[in-house]
Amino acid sequence: MKQSRRVPNFKRIRMGGGKMAKPASGAARKVLRLSPGRRKDWMLAALLLLPTVYILARTFVYPIFQSLVWSFYKYNLMDGSVVAFIGLRNYAGIFRLPDFWAAMGSTAYFTVFTVGAELSLGFFSALLLNQAFRGQLLFRGMIIIPWAMLTLVNGLMWNWIYQPGYGALTILLHQLGLLGADSNPVWLTSPFRIVTFAAIADIWKMTPYMTLLLLAGLQSISSSLYEASVIDGAGFWQKIRHITIPQLMPAILVAVVLRILGAFRVYDILTVFTNNPTSSVSFLTYNYAFRYFYLGRASAMAWISTLFILALIVMYFRLLKKNAEQV
Amino acid sequence: MRQRLALAKVCAGMVAFLLLIAACSPAPKEAAQSESPPLSSPAAGSSGSSAGTGAGTVDLNGLDWNKTDDPGLKGEPLTILVADNDGSLAKLLGKFTEDTDIKLNVLGVDYNSLYPKITTAALSNSSDIDLVEVDTIWAGQFLEGNIVEDLTTVVPADYQARFTKSSLSSVMYNNRLAAMPYYSSTKHFYWNNKLLKDAGYDAPPKTWTEFREMSKALTRKGVYASGWSWKQAEGLMCDFVGMVYSFGGNFFNGDGTLNVNSDGAVKALQYMVDLLQTDKTVDPASLQWSEDDVRKAFAAGKIAMMSNWEGIYPKMNDPAESQVVNQTDVGLLPGEGDVVSAAVTGSEGIGIMKSSKHKQAALAFLKWMSSRAFQEPNLLERGTYPALQELYDDPKVVEADKTGTIQKIMKQFDYGRNRPNGPGYVEWSDILTAEIFKALTLAKKPKDALDDAAKGIEQAIAKAK
Repeated sequence: MKQSRRVPNFKRIRMGGGKMAKPASGAARKVLRLSPGRRKDWMLAALLLLPTVYILARTFVYPIFQSLVWSFYKYNLMDGSVVAFIGLRNYAGIFRLPDFWAAMGSTAYFTVFTVGAELSLGFFSALLLNQAFRGQLLFRGMIIIPWAMLTLVNGLMWNWIYQPGYGALTILLHQLGLLGADSNPVWLTSPFRIVTFAAIADIWKMTPYMTLLLLAGLQSISSSLYEASVIDGAGFWQKIRHITIPQLMPAILVAVVLRILGAFRVYDILTVFTNNPTSSVSFLTYNYAFRYFYLGRASAMAWISTLFILALIVMYFRLLKKNAEQV
Repeated sequence: MRQRLALAKVCAGMVAFLLLIAACSPAPKEAAQSESPPLSSPAAGSSGSSAGTGAGTVDLNGLDWNKTDDPGLKGEPLTILVADNDGSLAKLLGKFTEDTDIKLNVLGVDYNSLYPKITTAALSNSSDIDLVEVDTIWAGQFLEGNIVEDLTTVVPADYQARFTKSSLSSVMYNNRLAAMPYYSSTKHFYWNNKLLKDAGYDAPPKTWTEFREMSKALTRKGVYASGWSWKQAEGLMCDFVGMVYSFGGNFFNGDGTLNVNSDGAVKALQYMVDLLQTDKTVDPASLQWSEDDVRKAFAAGKIAMMSNWEGIYPKMNDPAESQVVNQTDVGLLPGEGDVVSAAVTGSEGIGIMKSSKHKQAALAFLKWMSSRAFQEPNLLERGTYPALQELYDDPKVVEADKTGTIQKIMKQFDYGRNRPNGPGYVEWSDILTAEIFKALTLAKKPKDALDDAAKGIEQAIAKAK
């Protein structure tokens, strides 16, 4: 019900009261038609906006286009080689680069693993925190703490946990009897294991974020739906399957897409555990740009990642629309 | 349907717009040049921007070695970016202003922040920083990338001859001087006398064969014979370089090209794998350790021997920070066969930024920094080993060294070996350490790993051309 009411609102705002307007020329004509006083206001507003627009253009729009231009050039800043236009060869080179595919695979694994785990853990945490119990507010507050931590601090803390010998993980497994007394495994030995353990650190930090988004969604579900289902004889799992999940879908979609975008760009937490640039695409791009200074190739790599993310966003909007239509 | 058409139109419009912008935007070459300080050579800059004009003391930028005490320099502001964790260096550098009346502002950061800060300053063509610390592995990149001034013709040859071989070679690239030597450094061998005695040894190992045998006896419950900085990072590269040279390997062919899979290199890597995986005498946590972690394990008495940089003493003998007070000693890293010893060099220099607006004052600083006025107190107060050779033989300095290690430390400098420092080094090092790490974790055989590294580096060099 709520959804169907929201959608027309949205349309009304965007399309200027439901009319299929000719927005740009209409607005311009409107300004010209304004009384002198109103026109002055409008000019003042434009004047005040100008610094912001200028700064945004210089710091945001221009670098984006600059990187697009660079991506068509061989542009190695630090080895004294000549700058040359090479068309799409940077892009072709990247698609043939084994490191790029290794990094892509690793990023995909990290994204699926973290988002999957965060979604399931976050969903059940949200269900729990949505119950009325004593200390509910305290727990809701407490759960934010990991999320509020600096990513790098979180990485360093987990790096200590994963230390062989005296690290908390080894000690815990010894105490639980899951590791033999003589066994002292080194956790971070292969690229796959490093990414996995970094992902666990990320899950610990980002699950609260997922929980909060889903909790907000849960609170907007009308209790009358549950009451009606109880009268119909629905059990716990049936309620979740037929009411909670469908009603929560918009919130889940938002949360999942936001987290996918975040996880796909993972970089900082990995640097704590390894210097291996193939552990994520962002790490590889960063290395190409700011350690090797292959600015042309790094720009091309950044654009490829951007296109991947854009594709994800388009998929997200389609899903969202489909979902809204169903509701 | 109409919506889909609209979406297609928007997408097509965006692509056309982007292409238009791309076509109209300036090529990076022009952009880079307009943002860079004027160069005397084209964008490539490979021929260097300075050319001597008489007695090797003046260059095209007007840097004059003989005019560093020009009274006109007084009051000029200088900013230096250096690694300084505790502010002790800033305090010492304050003396420069007292001596010369040139105002020096010290930006002290941790070592890992140096490289990104220097490159960011260079990319943005900021003139905020005049002087920067230059690690040995950046010399080629900073020269070819036009980040620092070429000092080859500025600093007279007889002055250059006063520095230790290790510190001078670390700031040279292709016979060009990228920076003024700042301090001398290599890795050294440290051992715990008590643990050695408990295992029945009176002296540290002289060869890696002895080291391996002793390691087996030294590894007991809770204590490993050795620990290393073998996390996949630059620390692993440093240990590997020293090991390669002690097994008779070399990183360069006769013609100066890079060679990472020589017989000596394969032997060295096989030896490292054997210690870690066959003998199990290396603390397995070494695969997650950097140099500082190794030092902590040594200070806790958990490992009997280690290879590490200077600056371990006097903290290793401070009961507040160490459980092995007066139990440890330092000496030459083991060799093998004809090789007495080999250790990776970590000496550094200080260079003048191309974008600096106070280059003559910066040169005056370099002259002061490389003289006794700074080098002596830097050793006596901060335990940093001088770049100036004459200080090592000075009885006053030797006597004042409270740690009693200066002679032992100095001996190792004679066996220092440089890492390659070409412009592509950072990438080569990443490729090589990744492969070495694979061998250490048994994912590849040492020979295969090094062959793959050689191939990877070859491709990287070809790609950059």
